[in-house]
Amino acid sequence: MTLSEIANGKLAPRTGIRLDNISKRYGDHLVIDDVSLNVEPGTVTALIGPSGAGKSTFLRCINLLERPDSGTIQVDHHTIEPGKVINAKDLAALRRTVGMVFQSFNLFPHMSALKNISFPQQKVLGRSKEEADERAMQLLERVGLKDKAHQHPGRCSGGQQQRIAIARALALDPSIMLFDEPTSALDPEVGLEVLAVMRELADDGMTMIVVTHEMQFARDVSDTLVVMADCRIIEQGDPRAIMSDPQEDRTRRFLRAVLER
Amino acid sequence: MNWLIEWAGYLPQLMSGLGVSLMIAGVSIVAGYPLGLVLSVMVQHRNLAVRTLGLAVVEIGRGAPALVILYLFYYGLPKFGIAFESITAACLALIWNSAAYSSEIMRAGMQSVARGQHEASAALGLSRGHTFFRVIMPQGMRSAIPGLMGVAIQMFQGTSLAYAIAVPELMKSAYNIGSQDFNYLQIFALAGICYAAISMPATWITVYFEKRLARHA
Repeated sequence: MTLSEIANGKLAPRTGIRLDNISKRYGDHLVIDDVSLNVEPGTVTALIGPSGAGKSTFLRCINLLERPDSGTIQVDHHTIEPGKVINAKDLAALRRTVGMVFQSFNLFPHMSALKNISFPQQKVLGRSKEEADERAMQLLERVGLKDKAHQHPGRCSGGQQQRIAIARALALDPSIMLFDEPTSALDPEVGLEVLAVMRELADDGMTMIVVTHEMQFARDVSDTLVVMADCRIIEQGDPRAIMSDPQEDRTRRFLRAVLER
Repeated sequence: MNWLIEWAGYLPQLMSGLGVSLMIAGVSIVAGYPLGLVLSVMVQHRNLAVRTLGLAVVEIGRGAPALVILYLFYYGLPKFGIAFESITAACLALIWNSAAYSSEIMRAGMQSVARGQHEASAALGLSRGHTFFRVIMPQGMRSAIPGLMGVAIQMFQGTSLAYAIAVPELMKSAYNIGSQDFNYLQIFALAGICYAAISMPATWITVYFEKRLARHA
């Protein structure tokens, strides 16, 4: 079985997401300037750009960890207007549809790997403990960490923790996965094992939005490359085309800096 | 060596006083900490009325000297027809004191939990209640343990205040013995040693826990 089949019990209902005119400011400081992005079901979007461009903030706006000041988010027949009052039902639906993986893993340190994956299923989806544990074990096995099931995160390496975190998010049957620099806190070699899991997920047809500095991954795995700089999207399209022939000077400078390193 | 024999003669009476002190400290901790937990949840509550009530109880408990609260319970409340025995009044006053102090330590512990834990919980779709009680509180309480042990030691030493309302605790016992033969210096030194004999090892244990927790953080 593939990762997403295990996650969903059956093949995931493929869902895309559409963001229109998202803006966000902290006080006088504009961090997202009227950004729109349409992500087709089953595609991988890589979000790259210099630090401070607003990539992570934009990603966090998608599941409303950051509340945009204006714009609309459309996912799975739900339209959310973050500038207005968001009702709890829409927020819950959004968070249920969208899974997230963080740079710093954010596993629950007081729970075993198994419990980390099992506990949210019980509370959010109302699964029985047996069912949730079984699902958790399947996912742990799939990410190669069955033997870590009863270890606490503190006893796992960074790469292992990140794979547990991916399993935790998948266990809730998301149809869209957000990755916020999932390998940036990891050694290059350790990062590879996390990228391998993400690659597999992409092959299964999971809709993914990935903020990353991994250019190889962005080129090989993503369907759409989005370049952000200065709070806006400055270029988007086919990753190979953009990397070999960027249209914007700002993109060219950024790519030269990361590729010629 | 004469004084050693004298000390040995004082000990039985002092020990019964020490027992009462430990009992009051125990009650103030066993009843005070759960109350402190409730207060720490109240002061973090979204509802303004709940938060204000929690804050009022905590700030009075921390702001007023324990002796003042003790007197209020013992001498003040009878005005309203509520009279306590001295030992009950002492327990109630110190429960308030320990609840107030422990609640602030628990609150600080919970607020020190990394922001990523809140974010991960939110991203997973956990409710506020589940996030608080299953994710934040267990971690916050863990980092509060050394502080809570410190408050426990303070509470034990604070039981000496009950002397002021004639509870037969350690200080009172020492005073009674001293007033028989006016040998105050020796008897209070011995009482001090009794307090230290409990407090110092307790402090060492606290330090040990601090180090242990820092290592596993």
